[in-house]
Amino acid sequence: MALADRSGRPPAPVASYWRRHQDQLIPFLFVVPALVYVGYFAFYPTFKTIQYSFQTPILSFTYFNYQSNVQSGLYSWISNTLWLTAGALALQFGLALAVASILNRTFRGKTIFGTIAILPIGIATVVAAFTFNQIFPGTGAGYANSVLASLGIAPVYWLAHPWMALLVVIVADSWKNTSLVIIILVAGYATIPRALYQAAAIDGAGPLRQFRYVTLPGLRGFIVMALLIRGAQEVNIFQLAYIMIGSYPQLLTVQVYLLWEGSGGIPYLASAVSTVLLGIVTVFIVIVIVLGGRR
Amino acid sequence: MTATATAPGSASARESAAAPVYRPRRFTLSNAGLYVVVLVLSLFFLFPIYLIFLIGFTPQSYTLFAARPPLIPPALTWVNLQTGLSVSSTPFLPSMYFSLEVAFFVGALAVLIGIPTAYGLAKLGSRLAYGLTTVLFVVNMLPSITIAIPISVVFIKIGLYGTAISIGLAQELLALPVTVFLLVGAFQGLPRDLENQARVDGAGRFRAVYGNLVPLVRPALVAAFLLSWMLSWDESTFALILYNPAASATLPVNIFLSFTGRGSPVVGVAFSCIATIPVIILTVFLQKYLKGEDLAAGVRG
Repeated sequence: MALADRSGRPPAPVASYWRRHQDQLIPFLFVVPALVYVGYFAFYPTFKTIQYSFQTPILSFTYFNYQSNVQSGLYSWISNTLWLTAGALALQFGLALAVASILNRTFRGKTIFGTIAILPIGIATVVAAFTFNQIFPGTGAGYANSVLASLGIAPVYWLAHPWMALLVVIVADSWKNTSLVIIILVAGYATIPRALYQAAAIDGAGPLRQFRYVTLPGLRGFIVMALLIRGAQEVNIFQLAYIMIGSYPQLLTVQVYLLWEGSGGIPYLASAVSTVLLGIVTVFIVIVIVLGGRR
Repeated sequence: MTATATAPGSASARESAAAPVYRPRRFTLSNAGLYVVVLVLSLFFLFPIYLIFLIGFTPQSYTLFAARPPLIPPALTWVNLQTGLSVSSTPFLPSMYFSLEVAFFVGALAVLIGIPTAYGLAKLGSRLAYGLTTVLFVVNMLPSITIAIPISVVFIKIGLYGTAISIGLAQELLALPVTVFLLVGAFQGLPRDLENQARVDGAGRFRAVYGNLVPLVRPALVAAFLLSWMLSWDESTFALILYNPAASATLPVNIFLSFTGRGSPVVGVAFSCIATIPVIILTVFLQKYLKGEDLAAGVRG
């Protein structure tokens, strides 16, 4: 509880300030190591990236890093990244809502199903990427084509078209990350009183209208938070896409990696793309802060 | 505050007493549809995990080099694992050791910084605590690759480049927020009087926290350690940007390199099997600690 002095008296000397506020100041001191750590390892590097993005190797100011990347296709990398994000979020939330609503019921085998549904959270991204590459390779082979062949369908070249390539990455990413959304939505379901469903049923609402008028409003806060977390992580998708589809179509993160790899330790060009990435993530961060402030 | 425990006599306890007792329903025709959906979704979640081990233990002519790889192995073999994990010709042992080193460092540091941070946040006024939680939450959203590049530039300068500590310090950015959210919940669940009692009995604040409170949240501490360990074990973006090609890399980085044309795929296949076994066990074990409220930084609907 807040002990801040709201009486509007003039500021007191340091010692008395400490005495009056030590209930808040001492806990704050406990938090300081973590703040120093994230300040140095998260916020300072973030600031450095923005600074690098406007620098030449002789440290003078320039827009060249951005101009050069615009000519190489920066806008298409942005749009590929955003389409991937939108598609992956749509699939993950569809799947997660289905799984969470099943886990909200009682049936035999529920515990096992709950465990199965969160197993992918433990699988390393690079392992998931390789496995899905074996399911959807660009060569016309792969496990998905084995299944199609047994149904008499001709092999599909999964990476032949950029839309198709983004789609298989969306499927792979949703496999890996839907678990997180499920966990958050299950927590949301737990906050909805059962009585609301009973009342809705008595009022004649079927399953669909119960979902629309009871479940969705009850889950709203959880859905928004999960969307923001996953949205920011989705924009940062890197190895999964790189292992599965390489650079076709190109994403912002993969481009940052390739520019950095080829730079021999000179961060300026890569930092311009990094800063664009940061800009997109900042949109999600601002929404988090604004929504939080309104609570 | 998450006061989810139902106090006797509270509204929800009365409600559940009045409502008919729910028992897990057996399979009947009326819920057959539910079971079909559960089965399909389970297959979706399990199939890729099955494939990791199928590819690991099936001759490569039926997997990596097959035009129509079979879903059921026609033959089983140890050859992939023997070749991929060969101590003399692959980086298996140093890589495994390096991964363990980084993961234990990340887990230990998460607990070390997590305890005071979570205690502080649990004690602070709600507005300040909310602001600081948001800071940690934002850290979790920042792009790893954006942060990794300036960090690696700094580490090259100060000579920490490629060490387990440098990679662990970067990966801690992912582990610390979730550790703190988990522990804040645990601390807030303790009765307020416990600490006051210890203070009255003459314990200083540190003794009260570490001697009286920390032992009571031990299950949450173990969970936080293991979760951080697992995040590090799986993490590959910081580990990739910050590894020194002349020294060791973690298992995921070696897997990444072997699948992106800079190593033999069979190494990646074998490493994938090895890397996957502990995390499957950990996920099952950690399941009850993976709470939506913690992962979403304390959202309350």
